[in-house]
Amino acid sequence: MSNSIRSILFLSFVVSMLAACKKDDPTPVTLTSTTFSNLPADPPSGGYNPTNGQPIGVTKQYTLFSFKTGAVVAHADSASAKWDIGFNGTTIIVNSGTSGPGTAGAFVQTGVFNEIMTAPVTGYKNDDKNSTSAPLAIPKGSGNGWYNYSSSTNVITPIAGRVILVKTTEARYAKMEILSYYKDSPATPSNTSVDRYYTFRYVYQGSGTTAFQ
Amino acid sequence: MLARRWIWVGLLFVYQGGLSQDSLKSVNLPEVVVTATRNERLMGALPMPVSLVSKSQIATMGSLRLTDVLGEQTGLAVVTQVNGQGSGIQLQGLNPDYTLILLNGEPLIGRSTGSLELGRVTVGNIRQVEIVKGPSSSLYGSDALAGVINIITDPPHGSQGNVYARYGSNQTVDLSGNYSDEIGRLRFTGFVNRFSTDGYDLAPEHYGKTLSPFTNYTASTRLHYALSPKTNVHVSGRYFTERQQFDFEVITAANDVIRTSGEGSSSDWNFNPVITHRFGNRLMATARFYSTRFQSATTLVNPSVDTVYYADSFRQSFVRPELNVEYFFSDKQIVTFGLGENLESVQTQRYGDASTRNQTTRYVFLQDEWNPMPRLRIISGARLDHNTLYGSQVSPKLSARYELSRAITLKASYGVGFKAPDFRQLYLNFNNSAAGGYSVLGSEVVTARLSELDAQGQLQGYLFDPSTLGKLEAERSRAFNVGGRVELGSFTADLNGFHNSIDNLIETQAVAITKASQTIYSYRNIKRVYTQGLEANLSQRLSSSLTVRAGYQLLYAMDADVVDQIDGGTVFWRDPQTLATKRLKASEYFGLYNRSRHMGNVKLFYAHPKTGWEASMRVIYRGPYGVGDIRGSIQGEVLPPADINGNGILDVHDNFVEGYALVNLSVAKSIAAGLRFQVGVDNVLDYTNRLYIPNIPGRLLYASIGYSFSRKIRSDKHN
Repeated sequence: MSNSIRSILFLSFVVSMLAACKKDDPTPVTLTSTTFSNLPADPPSGGYNPTNGQPIGVTKQYTLFSFKTGAVVAHADSASAKWDIGFNGTTIIVNSGTSGPGTAGAFVQTGVFNEIMTAPVTGYKNDDKNSTSAPLAIPKGSGNGWYNYSSSTNVITPIAGRVILVKTTEARYAKMEILSYYKDSPATPSNTSVDRYYTFRYVYQGSGTTAFQ
Repeated sequence: MLARRWIWVGLLFVYQGGLSQDSLKSVNLPEVVVTATRNERLMGALPMPVSLVSKSQIATMGSLRLTDVLGEQTGLAVVTQVNGQGSGIQLQGLNPDYTLILLNGEPLIGRSTGSLELGRVTVGNIRQVEIVKGPSSSLYGSDALAGVINIITDPPHGSQGNVYARYGSNQTVDLSGNYSDEIGRLRFTGFVNRFSTDGYDLAPEHYGKTLSPFTNYTASTRLHYALSPKTNVHVSGRYFTERQQFDFEVITAANDVIRTSGEGSSSDWNFNPVITHRFGNRLMATARFYSTRFQSATTLVNPSVDTVYYADSFRQSFVRPELNVEYFFSDKQIVTFGLGENLESVQTQRYGDASTRNQTTRYVFLQDEWNPMPRLRIISGARLDHNTLYGSQVSPKLSARYELSRAITLKASYGVGFKAPDFRQLYLNFNNSAAGGYSVLGSEVVTARLSELDAQGQLQGYLFDPSTLGKLEAERSRAFNVGGRVELGSFTADLNGFHNSIDNLIETQAVAITKASQTIYSYRNIKRVYTQGLEANLSQRLSSSLTVRAGYQLLYAMDADVVDQIDGGTVFWRDPQTLATKRLKASEYFGLYNRSRHMGNVKLFYAHPKTGWEASMRVIYRGPYGVGDIRGSIQGEVLPPADINGNGILDVHDNFVEGYALVNLSVAKSIAAGLRFQVGVDNVLDYTNRLYIPNIPGRLLYASIGYSFSRKIRSDKHN
């Protein structure tokens, strides 16, 4: 009897009003590249506000990363060229323009990570938050950059086949692919998974050439 | 005057069929439908795919509500709406919003979120249900994009009546009564129905029920008064009201659980006076003034603190004056011309304020039915709709039927259908402030609202160029249907291949993010989709009392842009276990969500009028399909989406809802005194899928008794 759905609807509607987004956790898989697991991107220490779904206890600071060292850079060095990209929630910044003092650039390319054997020499964008068309080199928003967001399940899914190409602050090239937004990379994250933990793989060409071999 | 003779003969047969409604005798008789041409025509003579479910078949099936009937028809799937709000009929793979639902030729309203809740319609007084597949906007205008389903209720006839009572699982009670009589030149019929159910619970460990208990009432009437031999007055009216009690457990973002209770109500009425007059032998004119209202309201209360947790209401009205002229040029050609106006209004707080939104559509249509040679019949037509908001639409249609031989008939039709942007897509101004929330803004309000938010400094940024938002266009489809019919003795086969393509489907578009990180959505004409496939219906009479029927639909429903992207090699999938990314092959793309590649049915009907026994067994199969982004949860359980590999589309590596078959049985016995007893079991195998298909309640048993009485029928009128 079709009327059943009317009650369900109602329930689901209310639930959707209340459900908040939370997720987490990465687990890396190593191919010929380096996989960095569980990079924290300002996870809320107090969880999420039950009434408005907003995170509690966030620092609003970006977790900074250097491809050269393959490690997180201390926030005290945010005003330096020691870092290339930074993570906060789903937002990724590059160290340039309105985001930092460096000259890093990036763009999102559609393709298979392993098939991109050579870094393009042009096309790298800087952050310019005053731009209405492209405030960030790696665009924000579901479907615009590296992820899709489901408003029904509140799950952030990295879009398959999106490779972020980076020109670092030292003008070296890197390619990266985000694999998970959740702690320990669960195969099927849900809205109870712990979010704001990036797992990504990357290849860094430190020699200054464009080859990703 | 061949065509006209068909009509009258057909009418007489239908009336006789109606009298012997409890037998299957009428199956043998020519079937007359009105939906395909707006005039009564023999179904077999029509050049487009048309099917009909007769009263006797509905009685044998033991159906109560319209959804029960339609769910068993080939190529129709009862689908739940994306947001769970009601269920509707998917036709040729197109969503319920794209099929026009008519009651005695006039639209049912109340599509508060797109599809109509067809459980509103009782089948107790239905004479037949007519299903026309393929665009029919050339006659009906907006919404008749996939097709038209027209519910024809019993006309007043003779002096007779019946009462009916049924009791079944979940304390489901259906009571109805029907009376028809003639006084001089007045014929009338009245019908009342009460339906109630205690609902059901597929997840008893959770609070509340899957289907909350509800009760509804339907009253309807049809009058016919012969003012003169050439002038007739028909009046029809219907009233429906329903109340439902809810108990819901609401899970908040912090996984807190709130128990709430509430009530939902809906009601509608319609009233349709019609005058027909014949001018001479060739011209027949019909004037109608149809009006209808629908309203629904929902309130949910948190009893522990006695506060209203959620409230929603929706009111819609629709008025249509129309003039329709049918002209018989010759026995080979009939022309139908019509003009009219639709006046629609909607009021709901989801549009941001209490004011009423209106729109007006004026239209003219012309149709020509032509038999240039005895074996060939061509129907052509076009309709012009002019709407105050979205402008003009021209919807042509051309169809032809050719009798290759006595056994084989070929049919082909081409048509353009359209669906106007609905009120929701135009005016929604809905902010869901809770839960990391979101807003949805209709196309008529989005520009102003965005600049308001921007001026207040509330926007973090745009996700989409706001200057290109604004006017929505009507969605348009072009469709081909090509098929035929084979009749060999007691065997018939109907085949139809179809292709529908829509180039400007309306979809939600994320347009901006607020500083509180809420996404703002609006609507745009963006998506290109096509659906194509094949439908087959076979029927074999095994003996004078036993018939077997089988139906099948093969369906490919695709997003045309995704198909192009796959061809371009820019669609990928990520193995959720290994996290390796691979390029998706064209053969791996399954298509749109919620469409099954295969659907079918096998039905056995038995009827033995001499002894009064009748029986049926129907097996209805729906193949695997994927579910997309469904908001929320069912009784506290979150639905896992089909897409699990990061490409946002449905491919063969994703999760599918498994295929299933429903088996329904019924047995009935009529005895001489006008009594009829029936018992039945729906869903014998007790199939349920509480997460994805909560509208299948599990096995249902029922028993019913009906009593029919009639006085001597006066001789049939030969107009």
